[in-house]
Amino acid sequence: MSKTIVEVDSLVKQYGTLNAVDGISFKIDEGDVFAFLGPNGAGKTTTVEILECIRPLTSGTARVFGYDVTRNEDAKEIKKRIGALPQDFSALDKLTVKENIALIGDMYAKHLDVAEVIKLLDLEDKTNEKFENLSGGLKQRVGVAAALVSDPQLIFLDEPTTGLDPKARRDVWAVIENLKKMGKTVFLTTHYMEEAEVLANKVAIIDKGKISAIGSPEELISKYGGLKVLIIRNGDKKLTDGLQKKFRQTSLSNEGDVNVKVDNIDEMWRVMATLTEMKVKRDIEIQTPTMDDVFLKITGGRITEEGELKQ
Amino acid sequence: MKAFTIFKAVTKNWMRSRSGLFFSILFPVLLLIVFGAIFSGVGGASRYSMFIQNFDMNTADAKPTDLSTAFIDALNSTETFDIDIIPSGENATEYARDALGPMGGSMRILVISESFQDDLLNGTLKVRVGITYDTMNVSYWYFEPYLDANQKAAFQQGLAQMQQYNATIPGAQASLTIMLDPADTSAEMVKSIIMSVANAFNYELIGAKNVIEFNETSVVTTHFSTVDLYIPGITAAFIMTNGIIALAATSTEFKRRGIIKRLSITPLTKIDWIIGNVLSQALLNLMLAAIMIALGWILFNIRVIPDVLSIGLILLGSIMFSGIGMTVSGLLKDAEAASALGNAIAFPMMFLSGTYFPLEWMPPYLQTISKALPLTYFSEGLKNAMIYQNPEGALLNMAIVAVLAIIFIIVGALVTRWKEK
Repeated sequence: MSKTIVEVDSLVKQYGTLNAVDGISFKIDEGDVFAFLGPNGAGKTTTVEILECIRPLTSGTARVFGYDVTRNEDAKEIKKRIGALPQDFSALDKLTVKENIALIGDMYAKHLDVAEVIKLLDLEDKTNEKFENLSGGLKQRVGVAAALVSDPQLIFLDEPTTGLDPKARRDVWAVIENLKKMGKTVFLTTHYMEEAEVLANKVAIIDKGKISAIGSPEELISKYGGLKVLIIRNGDKKLTDGLQKKFRQTSLSNEGDVNVKVDNIDEMWRVMATLTEMKVKRDIEIQTPTMDDVFLKITGGRITEEGELKQ
Repeated sequence: MKAFTIFKAVTKNWMRSRSGLFFSILFPVLLLIVFGAIFSGVGGASRYSMFIQNFDMNTADAKPTDLSTAFIDALNSTETFDIDIIPSGENATEYARDALGPMGGSMRILVISESFQDDLLNGTLKVRVGITYDTMNVSYWYFEPYLDANQKAAFQQGLAQMQQYNATIPGAQASLTIMLDPADTSAEMVKSIIMSVANAFNYELIGAKNVIEFNETSVVTTHFSTVDLYIPGITAAFIMTNGIIALAATSTEFKRRGIIKRLSITPLTKIDWIIGNVLSQALLNLMLAAIMIALGWILFNIRVIPDVLSIGLILLGSIMFSGIGMTVSGLLKDAEAASALGNAIAFPMMFLSGTYFPLEWMPPYLQTISKALPLTYFSEGLKNAMIYQNPEGALLNMAIVAVLAIIFIIVGALVTRWKEK
């Protein structure tokens, strides 16, 4: 049985009358990549900072490695065991990549060899480059390196790919995949659906301080993702009408494609058999639901690239 | 140990910052060079330009009279004036304006009246006869009981004749007219120098001697130059700005960019962070003082030598001003606001603490305010240690700075947030 690393119960954080975190509960086991998925202002960073012992909670309990985040002595023990990439990570501009990573490493009683961490993050070419001269993607990688240098058991990555270009985002994903292989426990916050789906084995959807759903991406998609869609390219009204007689959820899109929503694999095969009977020879695509659909279903909105919730 | 790591990192970060180096070290050094050039006598001592129009001419040869010439020579001998003589036939103001040229300058014209020598001689004679009459009169009343009737009559006749003669001597005073520009800030200084020369002239002519001897000696045993006297003040002022403005702005920027938050997630404590920054400030300020003094030695031949007390004061001053800087940084969110508040605190303090101007020049209420300013004690302590060689004075100010350093570093630590709200 896996060891529980993080245990949060009925956690509340209030700012005046606003409940930034509103009674959330969850558990993270050793080796999990846990994604906290939600729009800006949902309470993701607040929760992370409570667990990092740099923000007090209002009520409820939060334990990391069994230590209570509210107790000063426990906080010292927690800080020894965690690594973090805060949101909008920054470092001392005039120090080099190596110096900045070493600075964080030196805060711990023991740490990994800085050169090894640099190699792990593929930053060898930039070892002696000043932080101010790095691109956004490279800066994030330095941040991840700084989070790993103490060889932590739990790593918090707060919006690690926000603002990065697709290439830099993929690079950071590769690093997280690597952490997963190394057996590290990762707490990832993100507003990118794909990121959560690809990287995490457990996802919690948070909105307005409350967790709306929690589970593996597959479980969530299966539960909330809705129907699969069979798309028949370059269809027409005759084909649509023909299919509608047997499959009620058939429609003709503005692009001229015929969309047939199916509940299960049997129904999908029946659609295929009908198309064969009708001697339809067109391109067919099967669209499966994603975390986007899950999120839409749960919150009634979508998250923009900037992280804002659009209803 | 962690504090030392922070010290190394922030010092290295600062050393590699051109703007940081400029404002913390280069700018004070440039200011010292400018001050030094002004006050060290490079290019000669300060002299005032002055025009003199002399109307006192001999009727025989139309040349200036002996006494008016002697008066001008006396003014020249002060080595304070660059004198330009206006011919007596010229319009004085027009002549002076032309001579000053398009760049202008302060117009100071001294006019020696036509009868300067005669009035001076007559005045002198009148004073001397008057003194003789008074002396004889006092003698008469003293010796009267011992004189017979004839002797008394002769004495009284002599006194009467002397009085009659004195009445015939013209009583006009020798006249000098000084024309000054109301905007001339040196006017009072120029006027007092001319009056001093005129008084000396008066005394010489009537044969009076000074009964009060005026000796001038320095309060310090070593002969210090003006640059020496400015070194502690400038050093103190820039140690203050390094702490209150530079450290406040840097810390606020670290906070805004999340660097402090990142460090707070590690086992680093707030105390280690503060100690690291204070150590960095102390090193920076010791370097600043060392560079200023070394440059002073090389360029201006100064004699200030830092001792243990001045080094101790610099360290305590660094702690005190770092504490104020951290307080400013703890209270504000962005570097611009921190820099503005730092300036608002530092600049009035710089001018009200006697760093650049003596406190005695200020109105009493400002002198009272200056006693509440930390820089006053820091600057005074450095002056006592470096210039006056007064260890008691230095230690007293050092004790005050130490108390203030403890107070401000505690306040700075309290307002520095190591945890979010």
